[in-house]
Amino acid sequence: MAEEKSEVKRPPGTCIPWEEKKQEFPPIQGDEELVKRQWEEIDALGYTYIWQILLSF
Amino acid sequence: MPQETTTSAMEKRYAERLKRYVTAMRNEKPDMVPIRPFVAEFTAKYAGYTSQEVSYDYEKAFAAARKCAADFDWDAVVGNMVYGWMALVKAIGLKYYAVPGIEIPPDAAFQYLEPPEDQAWMREDEYDLLIEDPTGYLFNVWLPRVSADVVAPGQPNTFRNNMSFLKGGMAMLGYFMGFGRQAELLRKESGTVSAISGILKAPFDIIADKLRGYKGLCMDMYRQPKKVLAACEALMPHLTHVALSGADPTKNVPIGLWMHRGCVPFLSPPQFERFYWPTLKQIIETIWSKGHQILFYAEGEWNPNLKYIAQLPDLSIIYHVDRGDIFEVHKTVGHKFCISGGIPNDLLAFGTPEDVRAYCKKVIDGVARDGGYIMDASAIMQDDTKVENLRAMTEATREYGVY
Repeated sequence: MAEEKSEVKRPPGTCIPWEEKKQEFPPIQGDEELVKRQWEEIDALGYTYIWQILLSF
Repeated sequence: MPQETTTSAMEKRYAERLKRYVTAMRNEKPDMVPIRPFVAEFTAKYAGYTSQEVSYDYEKAFAAARKCAADFDWDAVVGNMVYGWMALVKAIGLKYYAVPGIEIPPDAAFQYLEPPEDQAWMREDEYDLLIEDPTGYLFNVWLPRVSADVVAPGQPNTFRNNMSFLKGGMAMLGYFMGFGRQAELLRKESGTVSAISGILKAPFDIIADKLRGYKGLCMDMYRQPKKVLAACEALMPHLTHVALSGADPTKNVPIGLWMHRGCVPFLSPPQFERFYWPTLKQIIETIWSKGHQILFYAEGEWNPNLKYIAQLPDLSIIYHVDRGDIFEVHKTVGHKFCISGGIPNDLLAFGTPEDVRAYCKKVIDGVARDGGYIMDASAIMQDDTKVENLRAMTEATREYGVY
């Protein structure tokens, strides 16, 4: 799983941390906080998926 | 207008029931003993469905729960106590279920399958991977192993792998959104409270149920105890996060905690103290510090662990009694926590309504005198509970349970 391993530790609620994803963006010209917040909200859905499979199914 | 009158009456009933339920959970005395039965496959039998229908089609499960709520005088129910949606299970290829109507008869309840120790979903030498990155481990190692369709990173991708995540994610979202709709329908149609919100499991139970298996974990407690403890620690913040993310924002109803392997004889009290309790206690304390109660579903015989449970903050849990002596529970922790359950399932399955009424009176007299008690069976009710006995439990509670 090494090639899939996040360089930043994954805290609860996170699959791919913003700090890691941000490195793939060009310099953000507009509202970076908006981009970050939306990234994290959608990323949290992936987190919910795997942990709910574990807990509920 | 008649519709307004009906709506108003239901809202009034809902408000009364919510107050009754919440007052009891705060270990206080409501107007009468609330009734909150955990009815699972019973709802299918009562509503005329098979177990396959309610486990495979959640709209039928929701409809069955609402029919029971409308026909019985209950204060709160779970929107779908069968809970496991087997169509999603098959859509993503999970291997650890026996599904009603497919691997087992349509009237049987779904079953969990534990693989042989050497084929455990998590191998004995994988603790470090789990501890270092629990979410990554689940996605990259565990899910490809428990799903027939998901492939591990580095393996050739497949159409089925892609479809598993797409269909699984969208289907899960639809299912969970259905619970919100179900809560509204319960409120509008019968004035019934949705009893819980959110899910919690103990770290040790997760390792036993879904990762190492119970037998494998028993060996690990002797062969690599520090790894087991470290894995419980690693899971703890994630399980706390998931529990809080699904909690009731109004903080009225509790988070459901479903415990499996912490009781005697699965664990001895010393094993419980060392392996099971420290992380679970910390999770409960964290959740309670944020104002959420926990429905502490103590499946099996938990009375040998009462001295540990008594360490929890007052009111932090609603202690649900299964096979423990409910009168001893009341004597030991009744001053700290609301208690629920305690009506034996074998009595509800094989006894007479008169037997049930007598036992309910005994429990109400012995446990509920000062409030802080919620009527329910000992364990989740499947299709062996007789309709006339559950009706007797309901009626007896209304007769003897008025303060």
